[in-house]
Amino acid sequence: MGIYSLSFKNLRRRKLRSILTMLGVVIGVTALVVLVGLTTGMTSYMKESTGNMMGDILIMNSTGGGALMSSPGSSFLDPEAVDEIKNMSQLYNIKEDVEFLTEFNGTQIYIVGTSDWSQIKINGTSGVVVSKTLEDMGYKVGSKITIKDQEMTVTGTFTEGSMGMGVVIMDSSRALPLNNNKSSSITANTRGDPEVVKNEVEKTVNGTTASTKSDLSKQIDDLMNGLTLFIGGIASIALLVGVISIVNIMLVNVTERTREIGVLKAIGFTNREVLGSILLESALIGFIGGIVGLIIAAILLQTAIILFGSQIGDIKLISMLPLWLIVGVIGGATGLSVLAGLYPAWRASRLNVVEALRNE
Amino acid sequence: MNKTNVLEFKDVWKIYRMGGEEINALAGVNLTIKDGSFTSIMGPSGSGKSTLLHVAGILDMPTRGNLLMNGKDTSTLGAREQARFRRSEIGFVFQRFNLLPQLTTLENVLLPMNQPEPQKAQEYLDKMGLEGKYSKTPNQLSGGEQQRVSIARALVNQPSLILADEPTGELDSKNAEVIMGILQDLNKKEGVTIIIVTHNQLAADFTDKIIEMRDGNII
Ligand SMILES: Nc1ncnc2c1ncn2[C@@H]1O[C@H](COP(=O)(O)OP(=O)(O)O)[C@@H](O)[C@H]1O
Ligand SMILES: [Mg+2]
Repeated sequence: MGIYSLSFKNLRRRKLRSILTMLGVVIGVTALVVLVGLTTGMTSYMKESTGNMMGDILIMNSTGGGALMSSPGSSFLDPEAVDEIKNMSQLYNIKEDVEFLTEFNGTQIYIVGTSDWSQIKINGTSGVVVSKTLEDMGYKVGSKITIKDQEMTVTGTFTEGSMGMGVVIMDSSRALPLNNNKSSSITANTRGDPEVVKNEVEKTVNGTTASTKSDLSKQIDDLMNGLTLFIGGIASIALLVGVISIVNIMLVNVTERTREIGVLKAIGFTNREVLGSILLESALIGFIGGIVGLIIAAILLQTAIILFGSQIGDIKLISMLPLWLIVGVIGGATGLSVLAGLYPAWRASRLNVVEALRNE
Repeated sequence: MNKTNVLEFKDVWKIYRMGGEEINALAGVNLTIKDGSFTSIMGPSGSGKSTLLHVAGILDMPTRGNLLMNGKDTSTLGAREQARFRRSEIGFVFQRFNLLPQLTTLENVLLPMNQPEPQKAQEYLDKMGLEGKYSKTPNQLSGGEQQRVSIARALVNQPSLILADEPTGELDSKNAEVIMGILQDLNKKEGVTIIIVTHNQLAADFTDKIIEMRDGNII
C-alpha cells in the first residue's frame, strides 16, 4: 500500500478539481508544443529543401537580403554580373533561375523560371505548370494562358508549396525573356572547396552575395533557433500560469487534509514521507497534464498537416515532434509542478501532529 | 511474575502558553504502565487525558520530565526515529476512527505495513469480524465497523502498545461493548498492552486498572 499510492488516490478523490488544475498545464503544454512543433517542422522542411538544392553554391544580388531573407521577385542580378559569373572557370553546370511578380487578370501572380523540375510534384508534364489558384480560375492542362503578352499552353498543375498564391512555373529559358533577361539567382557546381569559390565570386563579381549549402543550413538554424526561443518563451508563460495554479490548489488540498496528515504521522509516517507524497501528487498533475497536452498538440499538428500540408510541402508529424521537445516538455511540466508542490508539501510535513489531530 | 515496564512517566510536565497565561496540561505526572496491562484513564474534560496519551504515543514531547519506553528514554529520539518508533511499537485508535476515506477497508489496514501483506491484513480484519468488507470504503461502514477497522490498522504491525482516546465516544452502548470486548480479548489472550481514555464507566469497567486525572495530574 504505502503512502505514495495515496497520491494517486487523492487525485481521483477530487476529480473535477484535479482536472481543472491539470487543464492549466494541458493548455500550456499544448500551446508550447504546437508553436515549437510548427517552427521545428518548418526548420526541417527548409533544411530538406536546401539539401536538395542543385549545385554547391547559390549566387544572388547582394542588395536582396540573401538567400533566406529576400522576398521573391524583388531583386535581380545585373546581366553584366551574370556574364562575369558564367565566365568564371571555377564554376560549371551554371543555371539561372528567375522569380518575378506580374500583373495577371487584375491580380499579382508569381512567375517562376526553374532549371530543376525534380522538386515539383506535377499533375501532367513539365513545361508550363500552374498552381491550384490558377487551376481554380479555369486553367487546366491544354488551356491557353497569356503572360506578358506571350501565349502559352498549360502542361500541368501543382498543389504543393504555393501557399494560395497564383504561380506559374516554366523553364528558366522561357521565363527570363519575360523579365528582360534578368535572373534572380544562379546555382552552380564548384571546382574545389565551395567556401573558397564563394569568396572568389563575391570578390570578383561586384554586387553579389553567394551562399553554400552549409551557409544556408546555418542561416536556417540561426533564424529558426531565434524564432523557437521567442515563440517557446511566450508559450512557456502559459505553462507557467498553469503551474502556478498548482501551488494554490495543493495548498487548499493540504489544508483540507490537515487531519488526515495528522493521522498519517500518528501511525508512523515520517515528515519526509509526507512531503514526498504531496510532491508526488503535484508531479502527477504536471506529468498527466503534460502527456494530455502533448497528445492534444499532436492531434492539432496532424490536423494542420492534413488540412494545409499540401500547400506548404511534405511535412511529417515526426519532424514537428522531435524527441527533445517531447522529453523537454513532459520533463519541464513535471519538474515545474514539483517545484510548485514544494511549499504546500513543506507546510504539510511541518504540521504539528497533535494540533492536526484536534483539527475538526 | 516480574513484568517489564512498557512506559514510565517521570515527572512529566506539558505546559502551554496562552498569551501571558500558562496552562499545565500535565503537571508532574509519574506513572508506570506494565507490559500486558489494561488501563483506563478517566477524568473531567480538560484534565489532561489526551495530552497524557499523546505524550505516551510520542506524538507530543513533554515540556519537562522524561518518558521511558521499554526502558529507553524517548527524549533522545529525533523526529524521524519517533515516527519509526510509532510505526512499529504503537497502535493508535481514535475517537473519530480517522480512517482514510479514499482507501478501502483493506487498504487502510495495509497502509502502515512496512511490507504490504494483504493476507495478514485480511486476517486482522477477519479477527475483527469484518470478513467480506475488505473493499468497502469507510463511509459504507457503520461507526462500530469503522472502529474495528481502525483497531485492525493499529494491530497490524504488532505494536507493544495500543493507545485509544475515547474509542467508544462516538458509538452506541451496544457497539461500545463490542469494541471493549475486542480490546479485552486482545489484552487477555494476546497480552497486548492497552491504555484507553474514556468518559464511560461501562467502558472503564472492562479494564484492569482505572486512573483518575484532575488538573494535569493523577489522583
Ligand atoms: N495546543 C494547546 N494550546 C493551549 N492549551 C492546550 C493545547 N492543547 C491542550 N491544551 C489545554 O490543556 C489542557 C488539557 O487538554 P486535554 O489533554 O485535551 O484534556 P482532556 O483530553 O482531558 O479533555 C486543557 O486545559 C486544554 O485546554
Ligand atoms: Mg481529550
